[in-house]
Amino acid sequence: MSFHEQDDPQLRAAQDERLRAAWAAPKGFFLRWTDTNNDAVGAWYTLTAFGFMLLAGVLALIMRAQLAVPENDLVDASTFNQLFTLHGSMMMFLFAVPMFEAVSIILLPQLLGARDLPFPRLSAFGYWSFLLGGIFVAGSIFFDAAPDGGWFMYPPLTTRTDLSGLGADIWMLGLSFIEVSSIAAAVELIVGVLKCRPPGMRLNLMPLYAWYILVVAVMILFAFPPLIAGDLLFEMERLLDWPFFDATRGGDPLLWQHLFWIFGHPEVYIVFLPSIALFAMLVPTFARRHVLGYPWIVLAAVGTAFLSFGLWVHHMFATGLPKISLAFFSAASEAVAIPTAVQIFVFIATIWAGRVTWSTPMLYASGSLAVFVIGGLTGVMVAVAPFDWQAHDTYFVVAHLHYVLIGGTLLPLFAGLYYYWPLITGKKLSDRLGRIAFWFLFVGVNLCFFPMHLSGLEGMPRRVFTYPAELGLGSLNLASTIGAFIFASGVAIICVDLARSPWRPFAERNPWHAGTLEWLAYPHDEHWGIRSIPLIESRYPIWDQPDFMRKVDEGRYFLPDAEEGRRETIITTVLDARPISVVRLGTPSWKPMLTAFALGGVFIFTTYHLYWPALVSGLLTLAMVMWWVWTGTAEIPERPSKPIGHGLELPLYISGSSSPGWWAMFITMMADATAFSGLVFGYYFFWTRHADFPPDELAHAPGVFWPMLALVVGLVGWVFTVGGREVHARGGVALARAMLAASLVASLASAAAGLAGPWLSGMNPSLHSYPAIVWTLAGWTAAHAAVAAIMLAYVLARSFAGRCTPAYDADLRNVTVFMHFFALTTLVTYLTIGLFPEAT
Amino acid sequence: MSDPERSEQHRKWHQQLRITLWTLIIPPTAWAAHFLFSYLWAAISCAKTGRFATFPVLFVGGTVMALLVILFSGWLAWHKERTPGDPPPHEDSTEVDRLRFLGKATLLLAGLSFVGVVFTALPVIFIGDCQ
Amino acid sequence: MILLAGCNAHQSTLAPFGEEARSTYWLTVTLGIGALLIAVLVGTLAWRAAHSPGNALDHRQGMRLILWLGAVFPTVVLTALLLFALPEMRPLPSQPGDLTIRVDGEQFWWRVQYESGRGEPLIGANEVRIPVGRPVVFQLAAKDVIHSFWIPGLAGKMDMIPGRTNRLIVKAEKTGRFRGVCAEFCGLSHALMAFDVVAMEPSAFDAWLVAARTPAAVARGRTRGAALFADYGCNACHAVRGTEHDARIGPDLSRYGARTSLGAGTLPPTTGNTATFIRDADAVKPGARMPSYPMMPEDEAHAIAAWLKELK
Repeated sequence: MSFHEQDDPQLRAAQDERLRAAWAAPKGFFLRWTDTNNDAVGAWYTLTAFGFMLLAGVLALIMRAQLAVPENDLVDASTFNQLFTLHGSMMMFLFAVPMFEAVSIILLPQLLGARDLPFPRLSAFGYWSFLLGGIFVAGSIFFDAAPDGGWFMYPPLTTRTDLSGLGADIWMLGLSFIEVSSIAAAVELIVGVLKCRPPGMRLNLMPLYAWYILVVAVMILFAFPPLIAGDLLFEMERLLDWPFFDATRGGDPLLWQHLFWIFGHPEVYIVFLPSIALFAMLVPTFARRHVLGYPWIVLAAVGTAFLSFGLWVHHMFATGLPKISLAFFSAASEAVAIPTAVQIFVFIATIWAGRVTWSTPMLYASGSLAVFVIGGLTGVMVAVAPFDWQAHDTYFVVAHLHYVLIGGTLLPLFAGLYYYWPLITGKKLSDRLGRIAFWFLFVGVNLCFFPMHLSGLEGMPRRVFTYPAELGLGSLNLASTIGAFIFASGVAIICVDLARSPWRPFAERNPWHAGTLEWLAYPHDEHWGIRSIPLIESRYPIWDQPDFMRKVDEGRYFLPDAEEGRRETIITTVLDARPISVVRLGTPSWKPMLTAFALGGVFIFTTYHLYWPALVSGLLTLAMVMWWVWTGTAEIPERPSKPIGHGLELPLYISGSSSPGWWAMFITMMADATAFSGLVFGYYFFWTRHADFPPDELAHAPGVFWPMLALVVGLVGWVFTVGGREVHARGGVALARAMLAASLVASLASAAAGLAGPWLSGMNPSLHSYPAIVWTLAGWTAAHAAVAAIMLAYVLARSFAGRCTPAYDADLRNVTVFMHFFALTTLVTYLTIGLFPEAT
Repeated sequence: MSDPERSEQHRKWHQQLRITLWTLIIPPTAWAAHFLFSYLWAAISCAKTGRFATFPVLFVGGTVMALLVILFSGWLAWHKERTPGDPPPHEDSTEVDRLRFLGKATLLLAGLSFVGVVFTALPVIFIGDCQ
Repeated sequence: MILLAGCNAHQSTLAPFGEEARSTYWLTVTLGIGALLIAVLVGTLAWRAAHSPGNALDHRQGMRLILWLGAVFPTVVLTALLLFALPEMRPLPSQPGDLTIRVDGEQFWWRVQYESGRGEPLIGANEVRIPVGRPVVFQLAAKDVIHSFWIPGLAGKMDMIPGRTNRLIVKAEKTGRFRGVCAEFCGLSHALMAFDVVAMEPSAFDAWLVAARTPAAVARGRTRGAALFADYGCNACHAVRGTEHDARIGPDLSRYGARTSLGAGTLPPTTGNTATFIRDADAVKPGARMPSYPMMPEDEAHAIAAWLKELK
């Protein structure tokens, strides 16, 4: 078809019908939940996260009521401890992070002019995991079984089973499950931003929201895995009595603090940057001009991401580490204020250079920046170690973090809510209610949290369920409580506004007259995302490209049709967004939901020590994953390529490093390698802690022989896979199959040899941290060998089934990526456990 | 690339280096490597020997190296950013504007990373022991 | 700030009585004023930006604003702050002969040991006495879970971590009675884990240290309370100097009568409160390790309490 063929209205109507049919949402009471389209999944995700936020907010109100007056007895100590633990954990894990993912799942395809994200079923899987894990964790409060160790769960209080009950397991296992879904979302978003941009949207034209999401998703990839590694060690201590954090048996409670805060500090920026990203979208809209200093925003986002990984010890300033170590982190904590300041001044400059139209979203944006700036400045204060020694673990920090998180996450989300509500529902929210709510929120947040700076400096530690009257903190606390309830009224008004939305009339299309792609959405929803995928020539195409909306709507750009009735979107190159392929996207299916529930079973049954059902769930998960990837991925198309308009003909199948699947595997394995490095960190951390590590009686365990054998055999397996891939690509299918089979055998043999080392040296992991960490490393590597074997078996099966051929070899190439990381894991593990004890 | 008439051979060696999303993160990666190095160096020195040298050659060497990497990538980026042509703002869908953008962003990151490395080095001057 | 500090003079960083806390107090004031000035500056600029007519700034001016105010200005301010703050991190100097007090955090009380160089350390609980004008080295450790040792008026806090011993060097400048608390969440009664701090003239401190080692006169007395103390097995956990009771599981009660609070800063140490605590410690301090004695008649609890109150 060409540009002018689209002049024919009948053709356009026929295309509309075909697209509508291909993208039709499943209907019916049950079937509708099989939907995978980003507008459905994103909406469920957002609503669920919003619901958890409301519940966590109610928990906070109960706490504030308890603290309104000194020596109050509204709730007892146990309940109070559950309240603050769950409030913090829910706001972080069940609201802030999922909310950013949810909003991005809705917005990103729109912003990128894509029909959907590259792995819609993965999004659905992430959502169902989140829902199940969230209900499991949040529901525990109704059974008086909620975690009660504070949201950072410091051992040994939480690892000692006599001091912490089921709540600790619920926290670890329930939230680990959710962390898995967060990483799934990160994979989806990174590949989305890098590979699914419309033709012409080079890196320098990407909407700033996409830049931020790219950066934040990469941060998730490096921040969450150390926590998962920590969770693993934690649960092994609780369930198997392996003493990682028990000082009497060579463990160290500080290891958990390191692993937790390597996650915990970047986490703050993970929830803050997406909100700034919302500003970066709405400020130019209301300033009526392009954002000024686009590269500065990219600098700020990337710079913050890096620096945020050099801050974690500032949560440990009072742990007695050498002052020099503290000083490094103090310096980095101050440096991170620079990119933050840059972002604020980019917005000020943009507003200054433009002509501001005041609106409710803009009101929220300015209010939240004001709140955030105060939080940022107190953040610089607590970065100064001597000040932090006083402020740490007091209400000053409570005030600081709430200023940052409310000013940097919650209020910007409300700004985004008022801004993007018309995009999602086609209707505007009430300006009047929005403004009333804003003032409640703004007054409430300051009245609640400003006095806390003072109560903290006057000696009120955080996490106390009561305080003596003689300290004279009563009036400050009463003010905080009143502020909290005023804030809550603001939230309630917003809820009323949302509830009234269905009865309001539809707004015009692009009601704010914005310039970015997402505003192409129709008020009346079409599930296809975008009518035709445009050629982008500007950062603000709706403003700058003549007749842009009309051309998109009339299908005058790319891929205006769904001839085969399939869901499709365009894959482009990373730097310059040159179109290279059309991919077929996943359609509605039960598989993501069932896989999520099966995986959830593993975590939930383990919490209750029901190991057999957990094992069954694990096997079920494996079977579900196999079924899912076998039927849903690397499908050989009915023809090699198809035209997408304007004389472009794109392949329908790509493999290797330009394909989304390869990137997904690569990114997943980066996360996996990061979790592994957390465990390796544990090994060397114990070494620095002990004069004799390994301890004398285990000086020669697990020995050199078995680890070296495992290493060599494992590397042979890797060489066979890489060789097999090359032979396969050159047509030697039979030889390649033999090599893959050899690789499979080698992987399993490597696992056996790796476990033989500690086993035959009689290392008892519950005696000391040394055998425990050696077993952990060996076990981790053996588990990867087992996964390698499963993957290789899968590729062999695909090959025999004719689904993986030299021309269509994505499966093999993706498995090779796994094998590269497997080789790396093998190398590090066996050199460490085999040779390091000999070297010390 | 901006000037097709000038052939590959006539361009200086540094102009032939490609600038991508990976080169963008070289300066902050240098900062991160230096930071990790500093932390490990101090932690291991203090934990294993209880002190570190009064003039720590290893630390100074590592710092100088990190600064050189950052300066070099900043200098390269500065050249790309100043690719001659139309006046700012450079925000078109052209190869040269993409290049300028990556150059500018890399240059800014180099600046931030430079400050970051200097900030990390200051404590060693001011604290100097393991207390 | 100073006005508010008046409400609470014995557990506040705004009412310092030690050298470290005093310098941190001035640091707080400096940082607070600096933060306020920057907040006002940013606010003013944002206000001006929002109320400027359209296109008040061209591309070049905008980039200059971002460069100078967004990047260079914070870099300069933060470099200055870092140069100012780094030397502040150095601990106070101390000599080997300085008074060392070892404090162990336990759920939910404090074991205090004065190491005097010669002989057995003097053991106490839930009260720390220090001399004014001399450096004091605290050695901080924990038995069960992580606690944090914080005397806001004296110095910044320091965590007490099982398996580690942390050092905190302080120097009091004013005499008086103050209060310290546990700052790291440590379980059910974290909120009820405080202690009294008494800063004394050096001569008075030295005299106290000698006097405290001699047993209280009544300790050996054959009162009903003393007998009940042994009968109920209180001596399985608690020590009283001058008697055969030397168990070290719970707090040392040798000078209980001289303490100004009960249950680690939880209640005033009246005989009535003490008796209540003996019969049902868990009701006063949830999760306390001390067992409850609900079957103990009230008058017997009173007798024990009365005896304890005489241990001065």
